[in-house]
Amino acid sequence: MTRRENVERQEFAEERASLWKLTLGPVTWAVHFAASYSLTAVWCAKLAAPQDDITLLRLIIGAGTIVALVVILLFGLSAWRQWNYTQTGRATHAFGDAENRHEFLGHAATLLCGVSFIGTLYTAIPVLVIGSCT
Amino acid sequence: MSKTRTHRIDRHTDPEGPYPPTEEMLAEPIDPELRKAQGERLKKAWAMPKGWRYISAVNNSEVGKWYSLTAFGFMILAGIMSLIMRVQLAVPENDFVSADLYNQLFTMHGSAMMFLFAVPMFEAISILLLPGFLGARDMPFPRLSAYGYWAFLIGGIFVMGSILFGAAPDSGWFMYPPLATQSEGIGSDVWLLGLSFIEVASIAAAVELIVGTLKCRPPGMRVNVMPLYAWYVLVVGGMILFAFPPLIAGDFLFEMERSFDWPFFDPTRGGDPMLWQHLFWIFGHPEVYIIFLPSIAIAAMVVPTAAQRPIVGYSWIVLSAVGTGFLSFGLWVHHMFTTGLPALSLGFFSAASEAVVIPTGIQLFAFVATLMVGRVKMSLPMLWIAGALAIFTAGGLTGVMIAIAPFDWQVHDSYFIVAHLHYTLFGGMVFPLIAGIYYFYPFMTKKTMSVRLGRWAFWLLFTGFNITFLPMHLTGLKGMPRRVFTYPGDVGWDWLNMISTIGAFIAAAGFAVFAYDLLRPKGRQPKAPRNPWNGGTLEWSAETTDHGWGSRSIPYVTTRYPLWQQKGIVERMDEGRYYLPDAEEGLRETLVTSVIDAKPLQVMRVTGPAWVTLWAAAFTGGAFILPTFHIYVPAIISGVLAILCICYWLWTSTAIIPEKTKKDAGLGLKLPIYISGPGAAGWWGVFITMLGDATAFASLIFGVFFYWTASPDFPPEGSIHANWIVMAAAAALLTASWGAMLGSRQLNMNGRGDLATACLVAAPLLALAGIGAMILSVWLPGLEPTSHVYPAVMWGLVVWTSAHVGAGVIMQLYCLAAVIFGKVTPRYDAPLWNVTLFWHFVILTVLVTAAVVAALPRVL
Ligand code: HEM
Repeated sequence: MTRRENVERQEFAEERASLWKLTLGPVTWAVHFAASYSLTAVWCAKLAAPQDDITLLRLIIGAGTIVALVVILLFGLSAWRQWNYTQTGRATHAFGDAENRHEFLGHAATLLCGVSFIGTLYTAIPVLVIGSCT
Repeated sequence: MSKTRTHRIDRHTDPEGPYPPTEEMLAEPIDPELRKAQGERLKKAWAMPKGWRYISAVNNSEVGKWYSLTAFGFMILAGIMSLIMRVQLAVPENDFVSADLYNQLFTMHGSAMMFLFAVPMFEAISILLLPGFLGARDMPFPRLSAYGYWAFLIGGIFVMGSILFGAAPDSGWFMYPPLATQSEGIGSDVWLLGLSFIEVASIAAAVELIVGTLKCRPPGMRVNVMPLYAWYVLVVGGMILFAFPPLIAGDFLFEMERSFDWPFFDPTRGGDPMLWQHLFWIFGHPEVYIIFLPSIAIAAMVVPTAAQRPIVGYSWIVLSAVGTGFLSFGLWVHHMFTTGLPALSLGFFSAASEAVVIPTGIQLFAFVATLMVGRVKMSLPMLWIAGALAIFTAGGLTGVMIAIAPFDWQVHDSYFIVAHLHYTLFGGMVFPLIAGIYYFYPFMTKKTMSVRLGRWAFWLLFTGFNITFLPMHLTGLKGMPRRVFTYPGDVGWDWLNMISTIGAFIAAAGFAVFAYDLLRPKGRQPKAPRNPWNGGTLEWSAETTDHGWGSRSIPYVTTRYPLWQQKGIVERMDEGRYYLPDAEEGLRETLVTSVIDAKPLQVMRVTGPAWVTLWAAAFTGGAFILPTFHIYVPAIISGVLAILCICYWLWTSTAIIPEKTKKDAGLGLKLPIYISGPGAAGWWGVFITMLGDATAFASLIFGVFFYWTASPDFPPEGSIHANWIVMAAAAALLTASWGAMLGSRQLNMNGRGDLATACLVAAPLLALAGIGAMILSVWLPGLEPTSHVYPAVMWGLVVWTSAHVGAGVIMQLYCLAAVIFGKVTPRYDAPLWNVTLFWHFVILTVLVTAAVVAALPRVL
């Protein structure tokens, strides 16, 4: 048995794969969203006059977006491995055994990372087009 | 944690015996005599109280029925109000109702539909159905559901009743200040206090539903085979938990302003009405999805049955549910486009509005795909689902239009919005709900509703609805504002309004037909067959005679559609060949299983009929309702009585020390009767409640930062700050109290009951000293809450925190009594675990408050 298989078996056997893992992607989206929103609110209220150029703010949010996207991508990759689609080809996990449950949580988390990725991209669009606080 | 401890606990709480069961075990026959005796015992344990004692029942089937009928009743009342409004608007310059009454009518119509119908209805139906889906005996905390129901009934009657006295709130269902803070009379107080009370009940129900889904699934039902409805219950319950608390925090600030003149929303003293708008819509937009997702959940149960095949894309639907749950929180400002926020901020929210369309679309695709690959029978429920789909799609399209900021400026506060909102609500809630009622009616009442009347109701409601609301888009584009009690006759709005009014009455006729069919006595009608639609999920295993016990024995489930995919499961359940086929001790019991894999963990004894829940609800009602009339002393007495009732109820019926440590759960499996800590349902109940509570607190903190960003001088130049030395002392005292609490749990576990008692004596004393110091820290320097919003928020935080510490003190005293009177022993220590958990949250609140009150203003 390879090491990887070993680890996998342990995960099947135990309830290691927790429900929380599902929420990692969306939580990253939420953190990015809330951070962008608060930063903008503070910036526009405290640092910039209405007509000021806010390129610096946009750059910061842009950098934050890249970080968030990478994080989501990493979560997504780990979930994708858990799903193990390339080896099993399974997309429905309709049976109540440990393996199905394990892969199901991976599958659902992968999809959620996908949506969170798109959601995060959407959040960043206004940064590309809007140049001032008003 | 010492080794001995784990060892000891394991011996007492580890399940013993074979699991999972083998085919041979399940095939083993059961002696018919024994079977009968078991059935009798079960029936007796779960019997409903008779006669007038019926209202002391707590069975999910009864409470769920009362709950949904009450919510339906409130809907009818709110509907009647809308008809009165439509009569008033039928012709220009009408004087059927006064401007003042009209304001009350639309406020109450909107508030009642949202708070008394849409959200409670989901919870009501879920309380009724969820144990059925899970093959469970009941919900984990039956008395909590009963308490929630009575609280809802009292609060609802209070809020609705106010309109009879012309004292109803009249500032719109979102109560914007300054209109609402300054409005004369008690209307706004009725709204704030009455609805807060109902929100608390809603949160209680949400906690119960979440715990039920996580901990009361049948053995073997891992998360990947749960019925989709259960996933939606988790998501919607979670959303309620994070969406309602900001509103409660807002209510708290608002009521402080109205009662004590603390200027949270008063711009002349540094306050800001925008904070209310934020808090309201952080709640308000998720609310739309809180209303909408349960309908999708119903569709997710109806569609596979109609198609006679498993759902297509289970994982995708789970993704959509969870994804929508998250994204919907990113939408709140979308209601505030016209309020002068930075353009960039508005952009973020437009983006989130677009993103949420993706998961919504995925769900609809999955349903369509299921129907396409199945053999569809066009049943009555499917007809309603189809109608819902049509209406909702139209509402979604106008929604996308509104989400585009410039368009929103144009139609903002016009009848276009009224039309859009009703399209989404009817398509996303009313029609699917009715579909669900037709579908589940045989499960709920053992009778069927009339197909002929059902079709009549559908076509009347469908055409009536469209005749009412389709023209309203045009009325709005032609510039008619919402919330006006009348309008001039010469601007071309009159004929459109006339059409709308006629449509409203046709729709009302549809409702009437439906209500008649729902309520008409069906005594002589034959019983519905056992599984009339040939559904695949567990609720259809219910017998045609209701014995109150839910299911005769709790099955071992390994598939998503056990009735289709596990041959013979129903027969085995009936014969008592699964878990818990008996009630040897004559007590009500249900199985508690693990969160992810549903491994059996415990035979939990659940509570039976009781009056104390009714009393508790009545006194809690008093504590919320009396302050409306500025009657404070009786309100406080009522509150104290409510607390006493709740303590009595907990003391006499929860965490009872069992007569033996383990019992036979059937199929050779021996399970503990009592567990404490993270495996127990009660611990989860506390944990989930406190997540909601922490959210409310976070909203208050958000308020502080909001004031800081929104006003140029917060805290104002030269204002007095809290005394940081005293505040630090308060934090230290409270931390010590928390430590003593934690210590008492550990010491008790190690058999040092005496030291644990000492800790439990010290803990409340330290905590009380802590409250005192905390209040002194703002009182001594002379922070005057009515003078400016800055001292007001600081006081607000202190009051909030002190109230929580106060609750914590009561719990510590409860534990002290429990240790002294032997309700807690080293082995049976659930109260200590739960209260310690509560204190973890309290100490977090305390430390944040201390930092924000004493340190932060000096930095800003
Ligand atoms: C036949 C059924 C209904 C009719 C004829 C109707 C009619 C109306 C009318 C005339 C208004 C007030 C417009 C204004 O003056 O601004 C209104 C507002 C509203 N309705 Fe309905 N309605 C119906 C059903 C519902 C349902 C089922 C819900 C929710 C589940 C609902 C939720 C609301 C809300 C939230 C408002 C906004 C109240 C406010 O402005 O504060 N309505 N409706």
